[in-house]
Amino acid sequence: MGTFHDDKGPLHGITVYAREGDTVYVGRCDTLTADHLVLHDADIHVEGQDDRSNDEYLQRAARFGIWKKHDTLVVSALGLGPVQPLGDLVRGAGKAATAPVAPAEPAPAAVAAADDIISLTPGAAAEVRRLLLAEPGPGRGLRLGVAGGGCSGLTYKVEFDARRDGDLVIAQEGFEVYLDRKSAIYLRGITVDHQPGLSGRGFQFRNPNATNTCGCGESFAV
Amino acid sequence: MPYPEEMVAPMRAELTSAGVRELRTPAEVDAWFAQKQGTAMLLVNSVCGCAAGSARPAVKLALDNEQRPVRVATVFAGQDLDATARARELIGDVPPSSPSIALLKDGQLVHFVPRHLIEGQSAEVVAVELIDAFSQYC
Repeated sequence: MGTFHDDKGPLHGITVYAREGDTVYVGRCDTLTADHLVLHDADIHVEGQDDRSNDEYLQRAARFGIWKKHDTLVVSALGLGPVQPLGDLVRGAGKAATAPVAPAEPAPAAVAAADDIISLTPGAAAEVRRLLLAEPGPGRGLRLGVAGGGCSGLTYKVEFDARRDGDLVIAQEGFEVYLDRKSAIYLRGITVDHQPGLSGRGFQFRNPNATNTCGCGESFAV
Repeated sequence: MPYPEEMVAPMRAELTSAGVRELRTPAEVDAWFAQKQGTAMLLVNSVCGCAAGSARPAVKLALDNEQRPVRVATVFAGQDLDATARARELIGDVPPSSPSIALLKDGQLVHFVPRHLIEGQSAEVVAVELIDAFSQYC
């Protein structure tokens, strides 16, 4: 999870928290060993300090960060609870990882042309037209997306669907391709191909953002 | 102590080449914050590879979105010290953090991404979360 200096543990460079009795420590992890935890830019909160419980303190810290009180803090690992990334307190609750300061009314998403995001080979486009003709419907187009899963972390989604608010729309000859905004981030620059034949492999994805793909080509990582 | 300018120049250019305005002095920061109408985003840049290496490309990716802040600027923590200190005074009541990303609407901080929510995340993940915030506020 952390970067650089593998000898300092996987949390090196990551802002973490750990509890010890009625005390909680928060800071950027330098070193975590069986003996001690070294934090930089750290803060300590004791239950009830500033009229806040440790949980209240951690919730605020997880959303906005901490006011550092110590450049470096060395904590004995004896009696220390699990050392965990502070960001997990936000992400772990299934919420967005970033922090809204105040609630606001959601605005409707815009529709934009985005023909620079993906391209289809002539073979893939012909196959989509063939499939759409076989099962026509009003407003139907090709929806591409990504979802969590697969052996490399993300999987491609291909389906025929109607256009939705906020979709990025790529006009093709005879049909449209729809992408939701999040998927567009992962699919930028992608080329969709189609391999026909009895042993054909169907739709294939060439993704310049993928740092790893699984053997079947249906799953990828960025 | 600031890093040699030749080391950080590419980190500045990564943003300015994408149209992000760099604020190098407190006066530039004051002028930028003085314009309160509409949406604005400020990235506190840093040399930290753990997080800024994702924050800069995330901002660039997110700015490709149709819904986005009208004005986008950056200050460089650890480099342009006075400008960064002034920006931190004006962002709002949040602890200093670098890198970090502040989204403002009509002069008020409405969304904040501190460093620890960028650490260990890919640029794509941070960008998607920024786009969610853009959808809400821009």
